[in-house]
Amino acid sequence: MTTSETTQRPPPISGDELRAEQEIAARVKALEALLIEKGVLSTEVVDRVAEIYEREVGPQLGAKVVARAWSDPEFKQRLLDDASAACRELGIGGLQGEDMVAVENTDTVHHAIVCTLCSCYPWPVLGLPPNWYKHPAYRSRIVREPRVVLREFGLDLPSTVEIRVWDSSSELRYWVLPQRPAGTEGLNEEELARLVTRDSMIGVGLPLAPEKS
Amino acid sequence: MDSADTTPVIPDQTESDTGRVEMLLDQLPHRDAIPRKSGEVAFEAPWELRALALGVAVHEAGNRPWADMQGALIQSIKTWEADSQEQSWQYYERWVDALETLLVQRGVMTIAELDVRTKVVLATPRDGSHQHVHHDPVAVDHGRPSPQQGTEPARS
Repeated sequence: MTTSETTQRPPPISGDELRAEQEIAARVKALEALLIEKGVLSTEVVDRVAEIYEREVGPQLGAKVVARAWSDPEFKQRLLDDASAACRELGIGGLQGEDMVAVENTDTVHHAIVCTLCSCYPWPVLGLPPNWYKHPAYRSRIVREPRVVLREFGLDLPSTVEIRVWDSSSELRYWVLPQRPAGTEGLNEEELARLVTRDSMIGVGLPLAPEKS
Repeated sequence: MDSADTTPVIPDQTESDTGRVEMLLDQLPHRDAIPRKSGEVAFEAPWELRALALGVAVHEAGNRPWADMQGALIQSIKTWEADSQEQSWQYYERWVDALETLLVQRGVMTIAELDVRTKVVLATPRDGSHQHVHHDPVAVDHGRPSPQQGTEPARS
């Protein structure tokens, strides 16, 4: 069985392309709104289908950025200084007025992101937010009891690690630069990118450990 | 303040959903043109995924055969190839066009309605409800410093 690799358009960054993307994105949004209003379907039904593929949109772009940051200390510094500009270097960009900030996990500080008011999310690098990210349970509990919530995701951090929760808004979207896993010295960027998970960039998980060969 | 919510955060996912949708996609014309990465259906932008999900959801909500969507997609691609200067077409743009045509044919909506609503969406700032930027963390759990970390100043 062969896998077909279709040529993908590079993410739009020119003015014309950006406008065209904005228009069709708005059209799809309008389409969904009309269908819901006319009682043809509900958001939940569409969410359920989207959920099947949600892991595929975008996380691979964020993983690329993380892998580059792990491999190139100067790029990493640029990323921490101005994530939007650094991502643009790799051809990754979002709509205007949506800046991103990457917060770096260390041995003593672990970050997690949320949008307490709705579901603001750094979609250019992470794609669509998972449904749980949008639910009131996550949005309120990650702020109130972050350590407990992270444990529910299987992330049991030592009590010596401080947890910082960042609230994204429509103008500023946070995402997490996870720590590079141990034992990855020999890996190239492509191999490193495969270790980066969406959940590790939200802060509810850690990157994968390298496979032992 | 809302009462303490202890709802578990991670919902269950079913594998049968994936199988069901993949089966539908498999029956589509030009299925080789569905953008893929390592065999998995891939998307460049969130709207593409949403459009795909809409098409599948509309099909499952109605009692019409999937062949309708197949036909609309074929037609949309044919029309594009006949009318446009460029030969190449973008899969999800054709998908949206096909879905619109289908919905108009079924009397669910008119293109005029959709055009108007699209303009409204474009004019509305995204998530305009809150644009207040937070430069500091909204919550911090300091944890318990180990005995060796004793001299770190407390953060507010």
